[in-house]
Amino acid sequence: MFAKRWWQKIYKQYQLKQCDFEALDYLVVDIELTGLDAKQNEIVSIAWLAIETGRIDLNSAQYHIHKGVKALEQSPVYHGIDDSMLKEGESLEYLMHALSQALDKKVLVCHSALDWPFIKQAGAMTGISVEPLGMLDTMEIEKRRLHSCGQPIAGDSLTLASCRKRYHLPDYQTHHALTDALATAELLLAQVNAMNAGKRIKLADLF
Amino acid sequence: MTPEIAEVKQFVIKQMPFSQLPEAASHFFATHLEVIYLTQQNQHQWLRSSELYLYLVRSGSYDLLSASGEVITRLAEGDYFGYPSLLTGEAIKNQLSVSTPGLVYVLNQSNFDFLRREYKLFEQHFVKAHANRLLSSHYKQTRDNWSEQKISDVMSRGAVTLTPDARIVDAAKTMSQHGVSSIIVSEKEQLLGVVTDRDLRNRVLAQERDPHAPLSAIMTRSPKYVFEHNRVFSALHLMLKHNIHHLPVLNEHHVPLGMLTSTDLLRQQKSDPVQLIGNIYKAQGVAQLKLLASEIPELLKSFAYNVEDTSLIGKLLSGLSDALTARLIAIYQQQHGQAPCAYSWICFGSQAREEQTLHSDQDNGLLLPNEVTQAQRTYFANMGEFVCEQLAQCGIKSCPGNIMASNEACRGSMAQWLARFEDWIYAPTPKAMLNCKIYFDLRFIEGYSALYSEFTAKLAKLKKDDLFFAAMATDINTNSVPLGLFQQLKLEKDQQQHKFLDLKRRGVVIINDLVRLYALKAQIYKANTLERLEALLGSNLLNKSDVYDLKDCWRYLTQLRLNNQLEHQHLPENCIDPADLTSLEKHQLKEAFYLIKQAQQACAFKFARGSL
Repeated sequence: MFAKRWWQKIYKQYQLKQCDFEALDYLVVDIELTGLDAKQNEIVSIAWLAIETGRIDLNSAQYHIHKGVKALEQSPVYHGIDDSMLKEGESLEYLMHALSQALDKKVLVCHSALDWPFIKQAGAMTGISVEPLGMLDTMEIEKRRLHSCGQPIAGDSLTLASCRKRYHLPDYQTHHALTDALATAELLLAQVNAMNAGKRIKLADLF
Repeated sequence: MTPEIAEVKQFVIKQMPFSQLPEAASHFFATHLEVIYLTQQNQHQWLRSSELYLYLVRSGSYDLLSASGEVITRLAEGDYFGYPSLLTGEAIKNQLSVSTPGLVYVLNQSNFDFLRREYKLFEQHFVKAHANRLLSSHYKQTRDNWSEQKISDVMSRGAVTLTPDARIVDAAKTMSQHGVSSIIVSEKEQLLGVVTDRDLRNRVLAQERDPHAPLSAIMTRSPKYVFEHNRVFSALHLMLKHNIHHLPVLNEHHVPLGMLTSTDLLRQQKSDPVQLIGNIYKAQGVAQLKLLASEIPELLKSFAYNVEDTSLIGKLLSGLSDALTARLIAIYQQQHGQAPCAYSWICFGSQAREEQTLHSDQDNGLLLPNEVTQAQRTYFANMGEFVCEQLAQCGIKSCPGNIMASNEACRGSMAQWLARFEDWIYAPTPKAMLNCKIYFDLRFIEGYSALYSEFTAKLAKLKKDDLFFAAMATDINTNSVPLGLFQQLKLEKDQQQHKFLDLKRRGVVIINDLVRLYALKAQIYKANTLERLEALLGSNLLNKSDVYDLKDCWRYLTQLRLNNQLEHQHLPENCIDPADLTSLEKHQLKEAFYLIKQAQQACAFKFARGSL
């Protein structure tokens, strides 16, 4: 029974990876946090936007602040969100409900694998399950691309800003969830186009 | 509400036209656009006619290529493309070539239309950009059009010249040696005259002149000529107007380069107005003339699609009417003897302004000397009767207002004509104003040009006081352009409830009236509206930009009117249904009407002062 479900899951992932990149829809998500540990720290703000048929749709953009944050600690230095702004925010249930709707039948895209544990944790806390079709990490894509080119990877060469620079994408202010989500989405399109060089690209090529 | 992304908004708000629009426009754009990453490999996906977008370059650089692969423009950060198709609805013909891949913001048609509706400045920005694009690509295409070619491209090279003291017999020998039908007579590289083989027949053989006499005795002195850099159309127009078949071509130092013949032009285009006009002048009888006249609509059709400058169509039709009239007068004289005294056949209204259309009716008259006798008047009465009747049969309708040489009132002696004009000027009633509008546009067609010149000189001397100009200005302002309070087009309805706009009565006519008033004030005695405007550039009555605006409006309305006539829509003559126009045309039409309205008001201030 368990083996069958496990097998179905593997097979589904395999099928997904055979799809053309542009045949799938994506939701690019970025989260600002109070810290890096999903067990101790919390989501401060979350933003996302959708990519459909190779276009980033700015009308699909959403940005939410989580009003239930217990301790901001030193994090406002990065994201600039303070207690008074938290009060204007929404509950974690509201956030997760909106996210799970937006993610329906879409591939989740983040820059760094750090965000996913927070989403899973929030899902467990609210009882709202978030089930993306698959997951892509633009940082991981970049890392593999640099490796395959034989380039050394220095400490800060995988930040969103450094990655974007390699593709001559415009400089953006970082650490605003919505701007970062757009920056990640643009990076993904640039990566895919740099990789395909004229031929159709499959999702599998991004792993 | 969709949150805006600060980085996108900050970029958009710096771009034209958003930098001049309320912030809400930038917000709308920033929250409704899509971002694509444009590369050489994926560019085919985007510029497609099935889905039209406005594109704004965020990063990267691209070349916009025409269908034939020429670079139209280089696109970089902040440049737009794709808007011509959004404005006109026409299919996308241009392609892209990507130099550096990058991000491009795209806005779909419905969002683009929303911004156009909401912000007039937004629409104007793209309409202007489109016009500039057209202008820059337009001149590349006109090369294909034969009538717009340079004369130097179509003329036969090598001027065959002789000096004026050469003998006639030498000219005949030289012509047969070179296999040409005409020769240029020049001295010290300056054009003196022209001798054609027809001259050898008519002026030498038929008159038994000594073939050893010098050429200067038989040449046509100071002939019409063109410059090598003129357009073919100017040559065509000269040939039409003067019914000549040979035009010397000069360089800018007036050195003869060669001869342009109507045959050279015939080679360029099969349905040739020169040929038709030539045939009209050769027509043996009325029946043949009618047959030739029946070709005019077809000729116009084939021709109209080939010219860029539509004012030439009016000239062409007027030229044909002139030719028909002149030929009918000649036929009349063949049948009833030469005219017993000097006379001038003149035309008024649209024929005089050289802006005839297929629907224009006759406006003509006869100018006779003061000492004309009763018997002579009878001769001209019959001539007027005959010519007007035959013109009507050739398709030029009789004048409903009876302004025709068949009407006794229009066959006056010089004194009688002057008295009529004087009446209208000194008693400016509405009826008199109506007459002024028709009769002050006048042109000589056939007969004795000296008589006509004397008449116009006297007409110019008739003193026109401020009251007359005020009356004209007031009269012009009784007519109005079809624009509502909020610059929307005001439509009229016919009995079947079809909605339409009258381009002639409420557009072209107002411009003509305004220009006539200024021309009279500036003592310019030309009839053609564009020529009057050209002459007004030298006066201080109108400033340069007003003159150019009026010219553009006139051309634009004339063009629309002509296109409509060619397509035979089921609307009153000269009218269009705005629903048939593209949004760009609608916009231009409103602009044109608006400019006319302003010119009308300016004229009222200048001439009618407080009396309105």
